[in-house]
Amino acid sequence: MFVSDFRKEFYEVVQSQRVLLFVASDVDALCACKILQALFQCDHVQYTLVPVSGWQELETAFLEHKEQFRYFILINCGANVDLLDILQPDEEAVFFVCDTHRPVNVVNVYSDTQIRLLIKQDDDLEVPAYEDIFRDEEEDEEHSGNEGDEGSEPSEKRTRLEEEIAAQTLKRRQRREWEARRRDVLFDYEQYEYHGTSAAMVMFDLAWLMSKDLSDMLWWAIVGLTDQWVQDKITQVKYVTDVGVLQRHVSRHSHRHEDEAHALSVDCARISFEYDLRLALYQHWSLHDSLCNTCYTAARFKLWSLHGQKRLQEFLADVGLPLKQVKQKFQSMDVSLKENLREMIEESANKFGMKDMRVQTFSVHFGFKHKFLASDVVFATMSLMESPEHGSGTDSFTQALDSLSRGNLDKLYHGLELAKRQLRATQQTIASCLCTNLVVSQGPFLYCALMEGTPDVALFSKPASLSLLSRHLLKSFVCSTKNRRCKLLPLVMAAPLSAEQGTVTMVGIPPETDSSDRKNFFGRAFEKAAEGTNSRALHNHFDLSASWRRSPQQQPPPPISDLRPEVVLAGWQDTPASPGWGLQGGAAWLPHAQAVIELKAEDRSKFLDALVTLLS
Amino acid sequence: MFCEKAMELVRELHRAAEGRLPAFNEDGLRQVLEEMKALYEQNQSDVNEAKSSGRGDLIPTIKFRHCSLLRNQRCTVAYLYDRLLRIRALRWEYGSVLPSALRFHMSAEEYNSECQDSAFLGPESHSGKMDWFNRYKKSLATYMRSLGGDEGLDITQDMKPPKSLYIEVRCLKDYGEFEVEDGTSVLLKKNSQHFLPRWKCEQLIRQGILEHVLS
Repeated sequence: MFVSDFRKEFYEVVQSQRVLLFVASDVDALCACKILQALFQCDHVQYTLVPVSGWQELETAFLEHKEQFRYFILINCGANVDLLDILQPDEEAVFFVCDTHRPVNVVNVYSDTQIRLLIKQDDDLEVPAYEDIFRDEEEDEEHSGNEGDEGSEPSEKRTRLEEEIAAQTLKRRQRREWEARRRDVLFDYEQYEYHGTSAAMVMFDLAWLMSKDLSDMLWWAIVGLTDQWVQDKITQVKYVTDVGVLQRHVSRHSHRHEDEAHALSVDCARISFEYDLRLALYQHWSLHDSLCNTCYTAARFKLWSLHGQKRLQEFLADVGLPLKQVKQKFQSMDVSLKENLREMIEESANKFGMKDMRVQTFSVHFGFKHKFLASDVVFATMSLMESPEHGSGTDSFTQALDSLSRGNLDKLYHGLELAKRQLRATQQTIASCLCTNLVVSQGPFLYCALMEGTPDVALFSKPASLSLLSRHLLKSFVCSTKNRRCKLLPLVMAAPLSAEQGTVTMVGIPPETDSSDRKNFFGRAFEKAAEGTNSRALHNHFDLSASWRRSPQQQPPPPISDLRPEVVLAGWQDTPASPGWGLQGGAAWLPHAQAVIELKAEDRSKFLDALVTLLS
Repeated sequence: MFCEKAMELVRELHRAAEGRLPAFNEDGLRQVLEEMKALYEQNQSDVNEAKSSGRGDLIPTIKFRHCSLLRNQRCTVAYLYDRLLRIRALRWEYGSVLPSALRFHMSAEEYNSECQDSAFLGPESHSGKMDWFNRYKKSLATYMRSLGGDEGLDITQDMKPPKSLYIEVRCLKDYGEFEVEDGTSVLLKKNSQHFLPRWKCEQLIRQGILEHVLS
């Protein structure tokens, strides 16, 4: 059910209890978690925080902790699947789910007590009505009860029998129609997956309702929203709307600046609205590096070719920046050049065909020295979370969580260095893929596979980095190719995950269109293809389809990873090839989530063939 | 030269870092006591001789030996007293149960001595350190019970005034289940974060299982 009054029905319920927080591994979830932690610490709510990066971890952690807690809060995980079915909780367990994944699973919506969704209802949800999906079983039983009461005369009996048969057939036909309609309704509802309002913004709203919001929390909400925009999870329109909402809060928090007597001290975090350049990390890097490594500019200039490099030089000459200055660190650039930098770059960018060089965003100042744009923090935190240098997943999670606090700016700077490395590696990989024509058209989609020995391939084994790489690759490919048909194709990307186990990660990205509404398909297609070809695949990541079901009769999984067999989730598909794996009923493949799956390398080719057949 | 062994003892303690308790140097102490005994006997015989035969030239030697005896006594007493102060600090640091490594460093002689909990002990009759520790513990416990009405007050908690009732801790190693005051338990797994009452976590923080997260 949807929680209408967040304060009464959520916060005051958990305030006197101990709660368990499950937090997914993305920046938006981290920000929401920090806001919630700050609220809990203010009110002395005892909580335990467990980071989870996939369904397996969620289920394992739940099994371990379920004896000790009654209230569970899930952040950015769990709204799009049938939670009660997967986790099998006790009767008294209550789940509060604050998730951006849509569509919300219908069981979660209509569960009366156990699942409470912390989702604003004015998000375009379009949940189907209850009657369309669930049907009370009483009518049938009543009817069969009536049948027993029949009695007496044969002639009457016969007519009554005929009537009965007629009535039954009618009922059955109605039931079939209802079921067909139900299938259609569910199909339409769960067709595309997309993302709703940022979880961090929802939490900030709750804090604001209780008048406990601080500028730190506002900054985290801003970072959460910017993460959604950086990863292309929301449309431009929604982003601008949400920026407007946050801008009102920013002006409320910083209105003291005008009044000199009560101005904020320099040491406080001062947030301000900016209409700033879209270049990634440009204030912590040199302008030249930033232009070369931001996907937007690199794709438009086609910087992987010599011609592109020359265009970049022309652009810089047009803006009026000497090459020596541009290659220096941004902070050491001449002040006279930095004065009108944004406007000059925007003007020249317009001439070169880049209309969206500037974007609405926010920046924060800590003291005199430290200034960050929201996208800087997003890149830094993302790199910290996915960097291969910290041992296990949870170690990097804690690093990333720490870096968001103001006292740990050294970790944030470390994250910025990692982000620079990541961006550079991304662009180099894209350049090599395009120059060596690794992106091939498989018919209904484009396909690109990163080989094992590619430099920096270890940086792309985690889902968010790989998705970022794939999206940038698709954008660059669209700019580079002249084939008009290819520009409208989606992209499937594969990268090696683990050498010893021989697995690869595959990612599906929807086609690049100007007015894309960020609704993604692919999850179901992956699922079906894996099923049909008997490939050993693992749908572990949270971006997956809603109607994903559990098949209890699984064989113990091959040692693709060290899972306990009893904990394995249904994503482990090892079912025998069923003859009609294609799709019944004329419905095309049910397109679903932006999917990331892990596969065994040997199964890759047959999986791709199956996918081609599915999509064409 | 005389008194060198005694100086050794003092130097050993001086070298040990603040708060650490090196192993009880029984050998050294015994050697010092033997030296003192030898000096004393020599002095005795010399004094007798000086008295009986009126030899005045022995008096400086006697005086010298006496000074060495006094110096030895001062050194050994300083050694023992400093050790006692460190043991007392251990009680405040670690609680009533000492880790076994530390226990080995103390002399664990007799357990029933008549001496009260005085810090000063004569070099000839040093009772067991362990025993002193036990008696100090008992004395501290009696005092704590006498404070704060019926239940007593644990004054070894909260050595600095705490800023908050609850603190945020992160688990560094897998520990298992941990009881909280209302009977329920928390599972401490690596890299999970918890927000628990401060006094419950202090022990585990000292043992290095939890880490206080400052934000």
